Amino acid sequence: MTPLQRVVALRPRLLAALLALLIIPIGLASAPFRQVERINILMPAPFADATRPLVEQFNRLHKGNIHLDVIRGPFETEAISDLAISSLLLGDTPFDALLMDVTWLPKYAAAGWLQSLDPWFDASDVETLATGAREGNTYQGTLYRWPFVASMGLLYWRTDLMDRPPETPEQLEAISVKLQADQKVPWGYVWQGRQYEGLSCVFLEIIDGFGGYWMDPENGAFGLDKRNGVEAASWLRHLISSGISPQAVTNYAEPDALQSFKVGDSALMRNWPYAWAELQKADSEVKGKVGISTMVAKEASSSTATLGSWGLALLESSAHQDATAEAIRFLTSEEAQKTLFLSHGYTPVLVSLFHDQELIKVNPTLPKLAEALEHTKARPETPLYAQLSDVLQRELSGVLTGEVSAEQGMKNATKTSTVIMRSAGDRR
Amino acid sequence: MLLLLVPAAVLLAVVFVAPMLHYVWLSAHANSVLTGLVPIPNQGANWIRLVSDQRFWQDAGQTLRFTVVSVSLEVLLALAIALLLDQRWRGRGVARALTLIPWALPTTVMALGWRWIFNTPYGPLNQTASLLGVAPLNILSNPAITWMATVLADVWKTTPFAALILLAGLQTIPTDLYEALRLEGASQRTCFLRITLPLLKPYIALALLFRLAQAFGVFDLVQVMTGGGPASSTESLALYAYINAMRFLDFGYSATVMIGSFILLLLLCLISWSFLIRLQRRTGRV
Repeated sequence: MTPLQRVVALRPRLLAALLALLIIPIGLASAPFRQVERINILMPAPFADATRPLVEQFNRLHKGNIHLDVIRGPFETEAISDLAISSLLLGDTPFDALLMDVTWLPKYAAAGWLQSLDPWFDASDVETLATGAREGNTYQGTLYRWPFVASMGLLYWRTDLMDRPPETPEQLEAISVKLQADQKVPWGYVWQGRQYEGLSCVFLEIIDGFGGYWMDPENGAFGLDKRNGVEAASWLRHLISSGISPQAVTNYAEPDALQSFKVGDSALMRNWPYAWAELQKADSEVKGKVGISTMVAKEASSSTATLGSWGLALLESSAHQDATAEAIRFLTSEEAQKTLFLSHGYTPVLVSLFHDQELIKVNPTLPKLAEALEHTKARPETPLYAQLSDVLQRELSGVLTGEVSAEQGMKNATKTSTVIMRSAGDRR
Repeated sequence: MLLLLVPAAVLLAVVFVAPMLHYVWLSAHANSVLTGLVPIPNQGANWIRLVSDQRFWQDAGQTLRFTVVSVSLEVLLALAIALLLDQRWRGRGVARALTLIPWALPTTVMALGWRWIFNTPYGPLNQTASLLGVAPLNILSNPAITWMATVLADVWKTTPFAALILLAGLQTIPTDLYEALRLEGASQRTCFLRITLPLLKPYIALALLFRLAQAFGVFDLVQVMTGGGPASSTESLALYAYINAMRFLDFGYSATVMIGSFILLLLLCLISWSFLIRLQRRTGRV
């Protein structure tokens, strides 16, 4: 018999007492921990990395009460959504909140997965937001998402090649043709023409700028095959066929357009706010020669910037809703936005920050971004957005490469969109 | 003794017929977020949509291209490998085990491996290319060639499976047949054409049909390696059905895509089956 076995055999009660003495203090010590509310927020990896200092700060502030973990999700935005949806469909999600792209909201809200934020954020909170940042957060009148970082389509122009940016499609053509004829630049205007989501963003700006619409938010009618829609599509085709934009633009995404503009190969570019910092880097040929404006339009009032923001949404299944709302408020506070702007250049959503002299010193385009935020427009706010956008991208891609006429392409897109709506159970 | 068939019949009904019927039923309904994920009859709207759905037909074309190219390559390679592994030579046992490794690996793991190999600019392929002074190849972002990369990965992964079936077939051929033919002075080539190939035919047909059905339903390889991109050029029908359900939350249409691709697969199998039968008859007469 080993000594241990002897103790167990001869002194069972003594052993039990000793064990109890050992266990009770541990239990007492861990009791307060059980009251800590652990909350998880899922974000794409770059956002999760950017917010790490803020999360640490939050956890210090709420030590003993709330512990926030930001889950570092995949890089690709679709992969994030797939991950979240899989767990939501199974009905047992480990997340309390999601960082959500503006186009996902209607789908998640219609599926009943989101908790209304109305109890925590009221009209006075909404008033602190810049105009454009107020869009894309509600579904059927209920607030489901609080904006975290703003983004919108912009027109970049070369200050050394023109006095002021073009405001109408005609001006854009005239400036480009002249600069190309004078051999100042090989190309006039570069944008995103590849068959992917970026093309839908480009087109939304042009169709609205031509006075048309993609989808009427009131009655869900499609405006693609209306006169303005066809004109918008054929104008984009015209840019390519007349040589203002390179043929290769039909395979351009954001980095390709940026590259062309950065080396000084084109006079104008459509891109998002992140491009400005890239253009100020040492390897940029156009450093200090770049201005920012909003997209051209037939009339100044209809100039449109596609809204592309990220925001935080609280999940209906969360067991810690108050704590999560607290975290959302903290991560989107003025202080947090300032930090994120200075560390990662994230465009703020609060109106007050756009006039903050300290921030303007770092990025002088801030007032221009505020102006662009006045022109933002959300992509069609329907749960079926992803499918409708896919259809539009296909047809537009055909139009841009000259496979179908603008008229036929837009007619096809409208017809297919209607068929999709009906098949998914739309009764309008 | 029909009673003895009951367990098998019940199993088939539960795991095959019932889900199939459910999907047929679901394909006649709208069941998406718009309907609150509740099925509502929609008078064949799903099927009208399927017929005119460019993405479905593009994916069907891509799936067919992937299936035909990868299965033909696999069976040809597998035949060569099986013949080699059937010969007696030193180290055959080790070679047989090594051949099976790609097949034994989980698809997800090897798909990630291939994705890394093709990575621009850090993957080994592009590293080698840059050492040789060749411009980087954007293999996974060029719609014209990305599908070939998925074929390559699939061939690497599943050739051993076909080789295994063919090797089993080769071992059923009695050696005295060869001896008899050789006694009459026949060459190796004649032996192969007159004995090996005809007797192996049922096994080739088996390998073909197995691989045909598997390759047509390819999902994990594509999902991990390319996610269906670029511009959905490598998207298979199975992946499209998955995307409709899990990304678009449109379960009614997802079921329609599923049944649609099932019908296409059935057609494909029927065509290749009748082709094989005809081949059998023609050579039978010789």
